[in-house]
Amino acid sequence: MNPAEELAEVKRREAEFRLKTVQEFLAFGARDREQRRQIDALNDELGERNSYIHRLHGEREDFVRREQAAFADVEAFTHLLATAEAEAAAARAELARLRAPRGWRRWFASKSAAARDPAALPAGDGPAPAASFVAVPAGDFIYYLHTPPFRLYRAASFTLRGWALPRDARPVTGVRVRIGGREFIGETGLEEPGVLAQHGPQPANPRPGFSVTFATPPGRHHLSLEAQLDHRDWLAVLTTPIWCQVPPSP
Amino acid sequence: MSSADAHARWEGSTSKLGERSEYKRIWNRQAQDYDTAALAVAGHTDEATLDLTARGTVDMLRATVGIEPTDLILEIGCGIGRVAGRLSQECLHWFGADISGAMLGHAAGRLKARPNITLVELSTVGLGEFPDDSLDLVYCTVVFMHLLEWDRYRYVQEAYRVLRPGGRAYFDNVPLDTEHGWSVFTASARYPFARRPAHISMTSTREELRTYLAKAGFDAARIHDLANGFIAATGTKPVAPAGPDGSSAEPAV
Repeated sequence: MNPAEELAEVKRREAEFRLKTVQEFLAFGARDREQRRQIDALNDELGERNSYIHRLHGEREDFVRREQAAFADVEAFTHLLATAEAEAAAARAELARLRAPRGWRRWFASKSAAARDPAALPAGDGPAPAASFVAVPAGDFIYYLHTPPFRLYRAASFTLRGWALPRDARPVTGVRVRIGGREFIGETGLEEPGVLAQHGPQPANPRPGFSVTFATPPGRHHLSLEAQLDHRDWLAVLTTPIWCQVPPSP
Repeated sequence: MSSADAHARWEGSTSKLGERSEYKRIWNRQAQDYDTAALAVAGHTDEATLDLTARGTVDMLRATVGIEPTDLILEIGCGIGRVAGRLSQECLHWFGADISGAMLGHAAGRLKARPNITLVELSTVGLGEFPDDSLDLVYCTVVFMHLLEWDRYRYVQEAYRVLRPGGRAYFDNVPLDTEHGWSVFTASARYPFARRPAHISMTSTREELRTYLAKAGFDAARIHDLANGFIAATGTKPVAPAGPDGSSAEPAV
């Protein structure tokens, strides 16, 4: 091989080496761009999923707000109904008194009994006979019941679950339901992460959930859901008349 | 498809002048089918004429910058690969780069039998897909007339970067100061304002091309008058590294 041929061979080999380098660079660049494209696509997908999750969170909050508003409406209507029924019962009693001879004596006697025990409800068609019911003062709570008590009770027992936060930020140390002269102690300190997310940290009540199971004997009763604050006072979270039917035969 | 149909489709595929910088979209749009693409980049569709003009381009390259059998050659804006079939027979490897992936799709169809050809879609104006100091010859023909001046210079700079020391560069355009160039200029000037298309031909001056090459760092910049009425600017990337006296081979920008 003469020097000119040798030089040509060197040039050829050098060019082939550069060609290989360029092709590897192009292949690497193509792979890099493909990976970037995939990363971009995944980021886009992630963004869309995050938007969807954000929308679902918003919808869930909206549903919770609407559910709580409906809960408040049902509670208000139940009290209106109870008041109307008490007024109707009083009107019927008045009517009976006017129709019956010497009716005024019995009317006077019932009025006297009511004056002695204001918590006692009228008998007969009235909301609830509860001679042993002694009302506790109403407390000021933010609360919500996952199993609303405003219903017709058809089972032998019922579990009331929900959460309650005293507005004065005292700790809730107990919860009970009183119904039909009986008292049912419930469980407190249950996790409610959604409540903390909505209302912020609650140092006195980091787990504001509770659960109380109580018996529902047939008839009309006065239900009082009560919370004990700081191991001392029992305060009413909610009082409402309820109606319980005889459980169906098995 | 008749020639009239192809022309009508091509005219329907053009974009407005204000969109001239959107090269990828404009040229992809003009490459919707092979005939439209061929008309857009070469002005005709038959293979015989394409091959004839390719031979003319190879002859111009041979006469101005030379072609070596060991050359790694890059064409900027190769379109449908008009020149590649001929030129790839005279070099070690031919790279065709274009900003339009659709144009490269047609090129791939035309050139699939060639073993020493690589087609590369450019992501944007520039040659970022190619490594530094790697190629022997970079050329760009019948492309500058469709580019804005800043983008012409960008490709000159990038050619300098990817050429190995001693590598050669070639850029051509329609000159303003020849009869042919002036006819192109006045034909473009006659377009109604609202109908000037994005790809409309814009001429260069000799001084413009000479300045680009000098500012990019090329040595031995020359302007050639070509037989087809174009001018070509050629230059060589210096072999010597930058000197301390300012007579540097490095780019002046």
